Amino acid sequence: MRAIDHHAWTNRWRRWHPAEKLLPASGLLVLTLILPPLTTAPLVLAGAVLATVRGAGVPLPTLLSVLAAPTAFLVAGIPFLAVSVDFTQGFDLRLSNDGWWLALTTMLRALAAMSCLAFLILTTPLTDWITSLRRVGVPSGVVELILLTYRLIFVFVERALTGHQAQTARLGHSRVDRSVRSLGWLAGNLFQRALAQARRLEIGLLARGYTGELRVLAPPHVLSRTRLAAGLGLVGLVGAASGLLARGFS
Amino acid sequence: MTAPLLAARGLEYAYPGGVTALRGLDLNIERGWKLAVLGPNGSGKTTLLLHLNGACKPTRGEIRLDGQPARYDHRALNQWRRRVGLVLQEPDDQLFAATVEQDVSFGPLNLGLSEAEAAERVHEALTALRVTHLADRPTHALSFGQKKRVAIAGVLAMRPEILVLDEPTAGLDPHGVTHLLGVLQQLREAGTTLVFSTHDVDLAYGWADQVAVFHEGAVLCQGETAAVLGNRDVLHRARLRPPLLLEVTEMLGMGRDRLQPTPRSREAVLELLRERLGRPSSAAFMEPAPAHSRRGPLE
Ligand SMILES: Nc1ncnc2c1ncn2[C@@H]1O[C@H](COP(=O)(O)OP(=O)(O)OP(=O)(O)O)[C@@H](O)[C@H]1O
Ligand SMILES: [Mg+2]
Repeated sequence: MRAIDHHAWTNRWRRWHPAEKLLPASGLLVLTLILPPLTTAPLVLAGAVLATVRGAGVPLPTLLSVLAAPTAFLVAGIPFLAVSVDFTQGFDLRLSNDGWWLALTTMLRALAAMSCLAFLILTTPLTDWITSLRRVGVPSGVVELILLTYRLIFVFVERALTGHQAQTARLGHSRVDRSVRSLGWLAGNLFQRALAQARRLEIGLLARGYTGELRVLAPPHVLSRTRLAAGLGLVGLVGAASGLLARGFS
Repeated sequence: MTAPLLAARGLEYAYPGGVTALRGLDLNIERGWKLAVLGPNGSGKTTLLLHLNGACKPTRGEIRLDGQPARYDHRALNQWRRRVGLVLQEPDDQLFAATVEQDVSFGPLNLGLSEAEAAERVHEALTALRVTHLADRPTHALSFGQKKRVAIAGVLAMRPEILVLDEPTAGLDPHGVTHLLGVLQQLREAGTTLVFSTHDVDLAYGWADQVAVFHEGAVLCQGETAAVLGNRDVLHRARLRPPLLLEVTEMLGMGRDRLQPTPRSREAVLELLRERLGRPSSAAFMEPAPAHSRRGPLE
């Protein structure tokens, strides 16, 4: 979570307008879903990985670690797709050809789709997406609430981590029963501190003239037509290449 | 005599839950002062500062602005907070926006400035606190000292008439402290009245021109820095130690001479010591030039 956030804030494409990244990512996603996966998915995967690592400069290990968890779930699910169970004549369990095919294509599709999402979350800070919500008509009160929550999550994660470290330093986690008790205290304490924090944050905001609206300077995003066109071009290229390949195979 | 800019009269305050934090406190703040509110932990410094911009409403007693009792309706509070800027002790209580730049722009925009003017104020405040390189960084990925500076910049950008800071130097490294004091000195020269709380007697001694010593929710003694901090009795009752520089100069028998005021800066005392010990002054002993001797954007 913190690693994702860090790269989202520091990658080379961070200052691009979110739409410039959303367009190719969603375009590739759509291709993955509608075109034959065997030819499309590897291309999409390659495109997304190249854009993330080469383009935005996010280290490959970070990208892989983001993809690792969902991939593990996928792999765990594959046997269930590949194996078919037949109850018509007693119990018959077999590896079906269809099943293998289904498992493979599903896996490729899912992986390609995830790489598009990983590209998005690794190149654009969450706050950019949240602020974009305002443009699509979400009330600004709701947007402000989400933004504040995002900010406070980091305060509390930090408090929780240091609180846990402090408890460990005083042997609060040296045994399972102690650990359970310590965690309970930590949670209770965090809750109380959250309330106090909210009150103090209000004081801080009021001191700077808060009157019910959290207005700040908008991030300086300019929509670049060149980059939008490049994004579209990439999607077109992948689509065309996949079509050609598919024809070559058949 | 004109009324003080900001004053507290018989201020009493109890936190919900029953802790009485202030017990009949009197305090004067005159235009152009650098006032240090000095007291040990838990003596009520933060609670007082929260009263100075109307964030807390006293249970008894009153705050006076230009001699007029403060009012707590919405409009009056807004006017009040335009004049009195408050920087909280804990920067995480103050920073809320995604990036540093956005956070600092919050106050100026609330003053009703245009986006261009606000952007200019942001730049000015970030430059003053030397954090322009952080402008684009997320507020949650900063060190404590960096957060602290950004929090101060956020209030500075509103150009308040009175700037109230709760323990502004706590958590800053020595360089950071010197620099911050320089920034405050510039503000002072530009006409801002400054109030800050601290439990650091040496800091108050070297920097403030007025000191209010706190003890158990009341001001034990307020007056000129040298007079208050030279009063052993007051310091003893407030559980504070005399300033080191004062002790050194007294031990050397300096400062008794009425014609020559007691030196209050580290450099001046070191210089005197060198004279006493007959050592030539060496540049290696000197601290970097204080930031206020350089020209900054706030001048
Ligand atoms: N939110 C609160 N609820 C109840 N009591 C409080 C609260 N905040 C402070 N107090 C109490 O009020 C008294 C004064 O606290 P205050 O924070 O003003 O002290 P301080 O001088 O700022 O101390 P420090 O140097 O530690 O910051 C203390 O006894 C404290 O326990
Ligand atoms: Mg305090």
